[in-house]
Amino acid sequence: MAVSPAFKTELLATIPNLRAFAVSLTQSADKADDLVQETLVKAWDKHESFQMGTNLKAWLFTILRNEFYSQMRKRGREVQDSDGVMTERLAVHPSQHGMLDLKDFRGALEQLPEDQREAIILIGASGFSYEEAAEICGCAVGTIKSRVSRARNRLQEILDISGEAEFGPDAISAQVMGSNAA
Amino acid sequence: MTKQKTGAEPVNRRRNGSGDPLGTNSEIGRKLKQYYDELVSDEVPDRFAQLLSQLEQAEPLQKKG
Repeated sequence: MAVSPAFKTELLATIPNLRAFAVSLTQSADKADDLVQETLVKAWDKHESFQMGTNLKAWLFTILRNEFYSQMRKRGREVQDSDGVMTERLAVHPSQHGMLDLKDFRGALEQLPEDQREAIILIGASGFSYEEAAEICGCAVGTIKSRVSRARNRLQEILDISGEAEFGPDAISAQVMGSNAA
Repeated sequence: MTKQKTGAEPVNRRRNGSGDPLGTNSEIGRKLKQYYDELVSDEVPDRFAQLLSQLEQAEPLQKKG
């Protein structure tokens, strides 16, 4: 059966989202686009297994995610927090204005283990429900919930969001910054 | 003002009470969306549209006569 034009149109429409998810997973624009390409080819090949009217975005995310992990396995799993990345970024401090900088946030996100990162992205950014995310990741809803909450706690820790400036030597610099800001 | 005497209405606060830890009130939630939206709005390279066209053109050939 030929691929319907509607299917193709929807595929195209989902590409920006697929790319965003792919970058979140791979942390690399190049790898992400290769991953998206692979996903599109796979999706095209098995389009018959998709039922029009159901959630194409979730279906595509599932394919992309499976592809990502199978590539990682093939490569013997590059350790994501190798070398300096981890130590270099252990503590990220809010930038001058006391506001959390997007670059800092990106750095913090990179430090999360994949399973936590993908969970918090799916729930907090891609707009999936916990049920959908569980299906995409092939795990229980409760697992997604706990990953999201661990990811969130970890990010708060790394970014020093809660309880900042309350104690420790940072309190002083925070006050200085605070008085300067607006 | 009508206050029901409810003994058995367990999950009212399930929706928003302690809920949505990644909502707009949370700094993490906001940053997460900002991070992601920026990625989504990134311009899509032509290669993907080209790829789909290629797949489309290849399609009839794959079919067995």
